Amino acid sequence: MAKPVKIILAGEGGQGVQSVAEIIAEAANEEGREALYIPNFGVEQRGGVSVAYLQIGDEPIGAPKFLIGDIVIALSDRAVRRTKQYAGPDTLFVYDSSIKDIENELPKNVKKVLGIPAIEVSKKELHPRVFNIIIMGAVLKASGVVTVNNAKVALEQLLGYKFEKDPKLRELNYRALERGVELVGQHIVEEGMLNGSNLQWTNLGSRKGFLDTVSGPL
Amino acid sequence: MLEKVIEGEKKVFMTGNEVVACAAVAAQAEIMYGYPITPQNEIMHYWARLMPKYGLKFLQTEDELSAGFTTAGGVLAGRRVFTATAGPGNTLMQEPLSMAEAMRLPVVVIVQQRGGPSTATVIYSQQEVTMTTLGGNGEGLRVVYSTATHQELFDYTIKAFNTAWKYRFPTFVLGDGYQAKMRESLTIYEPELRGITMVPTEPFVGRDGMPGVDREPTHLRNTYNVEEELYEVLEKYLADYARVAPKIAEYEVFDIKDADLVVISHGVVSRACKAAVKELREEGYRVGYFRPITLRPLPVEQLREVAGKTKQLLVVESSNGQLDRLIKEAIYGSTAEMLSLFKPGVGVTTEEVVARVKGIKG
Repeated sequence: MAKPVKIILAGEGGQGVQSVAEIIAEAANEEGREALYIPNFGVEQRGGVSVAYLQIGDEPIGAPKFLIGDIVIALSDRAVRRTKQYAGPDTLFVYDSSIKDIENELPKNVKKVLGIPAIEVSKKELHPRVFNIIIMGAVLKASGVVTVNNAKVALEQLLGYKFEKDPKLRELNYRALERGVELVGQHIVEEGMLNGSNLQWTNLGSRKGFLDTVSGPL
Repeated sequence: MLEKVIEGEKKVFMTGNEVVACAAVAAQAEIMYGYPITPQNEIMHYWARLMPKYGLKFLQTEDELSAGFTTAGGVLAGRRVFTATAGPGNTLMQEPLSMAEAMRLPVVVIVQQRGGPSTATVIYSQQEVTMTTLGGNGEGLRVVYSTATHQELFDYTIKAFNTAWKYRFPTFVLGDGYQAKMRESLTIYEPELRGITMVPTEPFVGRDGMPGVDREPTHLRNTYNVEEELYEVLEKYLADYARVAPKIAEYEVFDIKDADLVVISHGVVSRACKAAVKELREEGYRVGYFRPITLRPLPVEQLREVAGKTKQLLVVESSNGQLDRLIKEAIYGSTAEMLSLFKPGVGVTTEEVVARVKGIKG
């Protein structure tokens, strides 16, 4: 039985990790794949670390939560501390490189730890509000669970009414998505050139991720 | 004629709370009574949102005692009604539900279990099994369906109304916070298209005709003057329950033929157990899977058969043995070794079940 791709997204309340997980899940479902998304939630109204559990596969998904993620994305120092428990030997652990003094907290013995400057890019190049869309692009590139085009369709369904009023918003969101893809893709190319190796961790799902296209000898 | 909530059937992707509200509308429920409590709130929200379009009614009461009693009142008036609750709300609701048992009122209750005891967590547990199956001061004359998927939440919410009105026992759909909040796909449908006819409702009070002349007088009681009077009524109710229990009981089973260990679980935990059993089978372990869908009445005969064939039973649940106690009572006398994986108030993952079985088998 092909196992689903297991993804954990964690950040501060308000960073939008839940919406990212939900949009990806919806997009996967639209593609006809099996998806299960569950947020964590507590008694607090805001604040605290927000964690989203997302699984996408080709057969009905089993338990809604899991111990080890294939991809773990942590977007704040507290999120790194909270989610390193979900990282195992086959995990790709992604964090935001602007998080200070976190090096010693990063999980060891994982497949790969990847720092991406998503917060910086959102502030300097785009708009802080599309930070989570950059993250969405990063998740898509790292996991290959949904194509970028289908993610755009999902965005359109969710935010279409806003895009109609202000077409620039659409462009901004699309650019954010593509920048997220680039931020992860860039690292893979660099890494590939350094090691000259196949990036095995790209082959996470039963369906080919589009990282497979760059995972040959580079 | 009001619009139908579903035309034909369609695949959807939604939360479990949305599924329940949608299923209740599809089942032609007319009124929801309720008091807010996490993680069931969105059932009320979605019901209230669908309300104007489908001519439905909603009453938010002052607490769960009132929500339970008003639900009983709706049934007495002959309406297809329901309520939803969780945790401490379920505790409060046991008093009106006990009255519903006493009067054989077909109330339908959705429970989305959260952590306990007391306020505990708003997140998840399987700690409301004892209370939902046997709660109140009485004999547990109720039906409890424990669902595992969104498809089942839809199917069994519809079925709960029919079971309740057919057999006249309070009927529960026992979900949990995970099922309430997670999103996954399912197919929603018009019950008629699947050959499901909704059992007609009828009023208990205010019926036509002169009592004692045109019809038997209605005599609804939850109070008795003498012991023998109560005993006589309960004997009849218990006999009714025992007679229909085998017809109501449902279960899911696979890979038990040659299994020397059978994993028993219910609800959302069975998803982890199902995946674990499949994984272990691929590795050559002789394990089987059994899941009671009805926790009350339990599929006693099938459980005893499984217990009679296998060497070990591993009960897995997100409580400290609430299902385990029910199973042990059902299979009393069996010599199968009873093993457990109890995680009160916490989810169980596939990895943990696999590890537990490997720990047992070495």
